[in-house]
Amino acid sequence: MKKYLLKSMSMLAAASVAALSLSLVSCGGSSGNNGELNIFTWTEYVPQSVIDKFEAETGIKCNVSTFSSNEDMLAKVRSEDEGAYDLIQPSDYMVEQMASQGMLEEIDTSKLTNLSNIGSEFLNPSYDPGNKYSVPYLGGVEAIAVNTDMIKDTITSYDDLFNPAYAGQEVVLDDFRAIIGMTAKSLGYSMSTTDRTELDEIKSKLLSFKPNVALFDSDSPKSALISGECALASVWSAEVALAMDEVPSIEVVYPDEGAYLFVDNWSIPKGAKNVDGAMQFINFMLDAENMSMVLEEFPYMCPNAKAVELMGEEYASNKAKNPPAEVIEKGEYIKNLDTETLAIYDQMWTELKK
Amino acid sequence: MAFSKHNFRSNTLPAMTMAGPVTLWLAFFVAIPLIYVFIMSFCSIDEAYNVVFKFTTANYQRLFDPNYVQIYGTSLIVAFLTTAICIIIGYPFSFLIARTTSKYKALLYMLIIIPFWTNSLIRIYGWRTFLGTNGWLNTILTTLHITSEPVQFLFNRGATVLGMVYCLFPFMVLPLYTAIEKLDKSLLEASSDLGAKGPSTFIRVILPLTMSGIFSGSIMVFIPSLGYFFVADILGGGNSDVIGNLIERQFQSGNNWPLGAALSIILILITLLLVKLYQKAGGDMESLGV
Repeated sequence: MKKYLLKSMSMLAAASVAALSLSLVSCGGSSGNNGELNIFTWTEYVPQSVIDKFEAETGIKCNVSTFSSNEDMLAKVRSEDEGAYDLIQPSDYMVEQMASQGMLEEIDTSKLTNLSNIGSEFLNPSYDPGNKYSVPYLGGVEAIAVNTDMIKDTITSYDDLFNPAYAGQEVVLDDFRAIIGMTAKSLGYSMSTTDRTELDEIKSKLLSFKPNVALFDSDSPKSALISGECALASVWSAEVALAMDEVPSIEVVYPDEGAYLFVDNWSIPKGAKNVDGAMQFINFMLDAENMSMVLEEFPYMCPNAKAVELMGEEYASNKAKNPPAEVIEKGEYIKNLDTETLAIYDQMWTELKK
Repeated sequence: MAFSKHNFRSNTLPAMTMAGPVTLWLAFFVAIPLIYVFIMSFCSIDEAYNVVFKFTTANYQRLFDPNYVQIYGTSLIVAFLTTAICIIIGYPFSFLIARTTSKYKALLYMLIIIPFWTNSLIRIYGWRTFLGTNGWLNTILTTLHITSEPVQFLFNRGATVLGMVYCLFPFMVLPLYTAIEKLDKSLLEASSDLGAKGPSTFIRVILPLTMSGIFSGSIMVFIPSLGYFFVADILGGGNSDVIGNLIERQFQSGNNWPLGAALSIILILITLLLVKLYQKAGGDMESLGV
């Protein structure tokens, strides 16, 4: 009896070991270098039509998953096993952060035959000198929107938005780096300043801004502009572009002080299993025609100059959809803050929003 | 031996098969995550915002930041107003559907349940469309010449409370309904026989007997309204944060999970305190659904 039990148990153990090793083998097989590409992108950013086209052209199967903030993405990449993703889309400051932690593979740009399509103002950026770890995809500018039917003054700067005359008339991003950054720029400081006296000054100006804000909204600030609830806005340029399409009296203004600029990039995380496929995908996305397919759906600021050319004169001359080169040159990318400074930013933001 | 085997099959085994899955479920999805949150609230972050297991009480010290304290205060006021309004509107409504003899009783009950089938986020956006300066309400008001200019209903604390009341109303009505339904009609007749008029019957008989419903409804409305950050964001316009916003921010842009965990612990403590008070006041744990 006892012997029988022992025997059956050992058989069970052997069977489970066999099953386990079998599943490991099959697992290794499917996620290995057999033409699958695991892509981790922002939501609503890479159209399915473009993915389908890539799959049809190369026979590489794409598994796309999405995130909605850089911090989400970072947490996910950290918590998954190494090699879970072949391609990710960090923004400028996140490229810097991940590269400094050794989380990104170096990109051999000589293999990217279409890289020359990118406008020179977007190459060799301050957050990633020499594009060692990142290739620009799309981006945006924190632009000012003015409904000229409702605001008769000429608005030229972030500083103008602080005018007490516009109390309760503004919609701004619900994003502490964007709004504190805008305040810093209006005082002539860097958006990522760590200087404590500058931060004190920024804080008192920021708190004086509260009466002007009707609404903090990052999801769809264009709605408040279109409905006429707000006459002024400090929001992403793409949102202004969409609002301008609906309401002709809305205009885009790029601030004199230089604007908050962001660019989302393609990067390959350390330990990616299909680096070749990832490189093929990046090069595919650098192709002007493919990128113009993206722009048809998502009119963000496009670093790909050739793709903008393909979109036609009307698109290229729309200042909200295609911010002028001098705006990019004058613009500033945000930088990572040390934890102590971030706590100061967070505190003043909390005080603003209480 | 035979006896204990019998005991196992008749007592232990059924108990294990019945309670086992629930216990496992609670352990995995409630106890372990809560312990994890508790441990994390004493952790630190390194320069790259990674959570590191280095003991600190700094997160708890930051909870006493005057801005935070003010937000707890605001949040409690919003929750209190939400609860009070829910009672004032919910009580007559529950009374109506519980005591009616109409054939529409089931329909009235369903009116409360049906909105539950749509995601609350979508319903809150619906309110924004309805109340906007170009929304339905303003169109009606200006068309009827009640107001000459559109009124800004949104983006203030009142709109936040409205959204909370709307979302949490069913949680007040359902326990009230149960309590009022249980009310013995003969007691009301006795009260009237003894000469009590309507208001006196209500205050001295009906209200004390349905107090348990008011208590459990209040608990179920008050606690979630401390955390409904999306209502404060969408209808309040992000101008008046509640505790939920503070927690959300630390897990997102603030990128300080240990601080977020400590804030969550505060929320859990407030909840436990309220439930304890509820028990002390003679509340029945079963009617809370726990």
